[in-house]
Amino acid sequence: MSGEVTERSATSTARSPVLSSFGVVSKVWLGLLGVLLVAGLGAWAYQLQQGLVVTGMRNVFSWGLYIMLFVMFVGLSAGGLIISSAPKFFHSDRYEGFARLGVLVSLACIIVAGLLILPDIGRPERLYQFFTSPDFRSPMVWDFGIVVLYGVLNVWYLWLLTRRDLAARGSRLAFGAEDTQAGRDRDRKLLFWTAAVALPTAVMLHSVTGWIFATQVGRGDWFSPLVAPVFIAKALVSGLGLLLVVSILADRYTGFDADRDELASLGKMLGIFLAFHVVYLLAAERLPHAWADHFGFWAITSEFLIGDSVYFWLWTGVGGALPLVLLATPQLRKRLSVIFVAGVLAVFGTLFEGVRLVFTGYESVNIDAAPGISLGGEYAGVTTDIWATTGAYTPTVIELVVTAGIVAFGALIVTVGLRFVPLQRRTEQERYAPDGGGGGCD
Amino acid sequence: MTNYGLVIDQERCIGCQTCAVTCKQENNVPMGQFWNRVLTVGGDHIDTPEGSYPEDGESGDLDMQYQPTACQHCENAPCVKVCPVNATYKRDDGIVEIDYDKCIGCRYCMAACPYNARVFNWDEPQHLPEEGTGDVEERPQGVVEKCTFCSHRVEEGLDPACAVNCPADARIFGDLDDETSTVSKYVNEYNTEQLLDEKGTDPNTYYVQGEMTPGRTWTSDKLESELDEQPTPEEAGDPDSEKSMQGATADPVWGDD
Repeated sequence: MSGEVTERSATSTARSPVLSSFGVVSKVWLGLLGVLLVAGLGAWAYQLQQGLVVTGMRNVFSWGLYIMLFVMFVGLSAGGLIISSAPKFFHSDRYEGFARLGVLVSLACIIVAGLLILPDIGRPERLYQFFTSPDFRSPMVWDFGIVVLYGVLNVWYLWLLTRRDLAARGSRLAFGAEDTQAGRDRDRKLLFWTAAVALPTAVMLHSVTGWIFATQVGRGDWFSPLVAPVFIAKALVSGLGLLLVVSILADRYTGFDADRDELASLGKMLGIFLAFHVVYLLAAERLPHAWADHFGFWAITSEFLIGDSVYFWLWTGVGGALPLVLLATPQLRKRLSVIFVAGVLAVFGTLFEGVRLVFTGYESVNIDAAPGISLGGEYAGVTTDIWATTGAYTPTVIELVVTAGIVAFGALIVTVGLRFVPLQRRTEQERYAPDGGGGGCD
Repeated sequence: MTNYGLVIDQERCIGCQTCAVTCKQENNVPMGQFWNRVLTVGGDHIDTPEGSYPEDGESGDLDMQYQPTACQHCENAPCVKVCPVNATYKRDDGIVEIDYDKCIGCRYCMAACPYNARVFNWDEPQHLPEEGTGDVEERPQGVVEKCTFCSHRVEEGLDPACAVNCPADARIFGDLDDETSTVSKYVNEYNTEQLLDEKGTDPNTYYVQGEMTPGRTWTSDKLESELDEQPTPEEAGDPDSEKSMQGATADPVWGDD
């Protein structure tokens, strides 16, 4: 495989962006994203002026949609980077066609995750304190560092993957890199080392994000050593699910060519990740509690099997069992539509896993004696009921609009990337030189 | 070293809410927020017991206890450890305090606190009267605030407002590192509990249950250590020296059986 590659001249293997121009459909899409982005900015400005009182959060339930989706998008950012860097680390050309698109999606997701923190902050103008006065005991400081590192790594990785092709196309984005065979060979080595750094960084990113919750003694089930491994599994499931969804969409609507066999193979891998995450890890988490809390066999069994909230079922049923069955059925699992639906469901499921995680922390309080805890906000005279003994939360329209704006920004990054980053373009049966892995190393 | 702590005698507490209200006044706590709450451990509402009323010659089992709850000023304070920017910190004298100029409003500390002692200014804080009450630092919209053990008073040699104004003398403030202080004596000699001690936060706030203490026995609003004349051993509740203080009120009205 590698032999035939090196015989070619460097430029003939150069790839192009999968969108050669923005057509009408793309422009309508970009316009929609632009509208969402502007609306989100407006809603955030309104929230900054009025305060977080315009959100559904209050003193008992003090983190909401922004944090739930932060957790989700950190997970989503795993897919591309792992799918592209794991084969490179093992000198393999597998899933080569998904590497660049994957890293682009990872980059967009980690940017969305980072931006989702901004509207959650009460006084964002003081964020510089992270640099001037950090407390290194705080998991949030660790996470801030690892999210920034991961974002920078994604930018570097995407550029390293594409800079020779950018140079071949005369793009300024090559930043002086030249399209030479020697350069491409050197980049293959660099890609191996980047992959070697990217994999542990990804593991740290998801673990540290899990430890934000898992270190907290005061919030029920958050305090569990399993949270970090669960976050890794969740990242594999949702990240791969999103990569499959984006790949199939790009294959359908742009010049991106997704290899059917590899899609089916990645679909199978998603099934394995789902089984590990939603079946095995969840069982491992629930069984000891169910066993310790109950006496009879059926009481233990039902506590083990039956979930406690609608979010649980949306996650494990709709987002877990259903895609698992789809991907495990031999007659179905190779169909593009089935892989697409399974990917969508897997992402949908992990969204509600994150929602459930935040709810388990906030819906009950440790000390729930009457009258409870003062909620704060919306004080309207002495008749206001300011007390609560349980946490309740529904996101407001403002939160939804701000969130939609940030997600639209992520979609904008991917769309612009499809137009300007040489991801791959369908030509007559032509093979591309692999970016790393086997090519330079045997 | 000084390590300030608070002893709350739940057998003395009468549930009058004075500490909650005086805290709100002293610290200019915004409307809709409380730093200090008097909880009723019992029924579903404040001032209601759990259990059944004695009827038809049967003995009832009504039970109720008041639990004043504010920041516990933990030794192993989770809120301090999670604060990314050192805005919440543990002072050398044991008080957990917030630098309101540093707080970025991320509310990680609210997630960390097992006692729900912290409140966030979701909007521009409202005060009645508008100019506010008390001689304390202003807290803007978008920051977290909580009980400071009235550090502004403590620095002047005065006890926290809640301790001075408790009509049942159920709140005793002092130095836990000073073995002769009343708080140290009560912690040593009486049955005291720290809230949620299984969480390992090691609060500087102790709750007396079972046998009633002599309470806060001096009338000055000064810190015990600032008094010209220290409370006598009897006054300071040395249980070896005197039992007579407890006398008629020694048996709790409810709870202890």
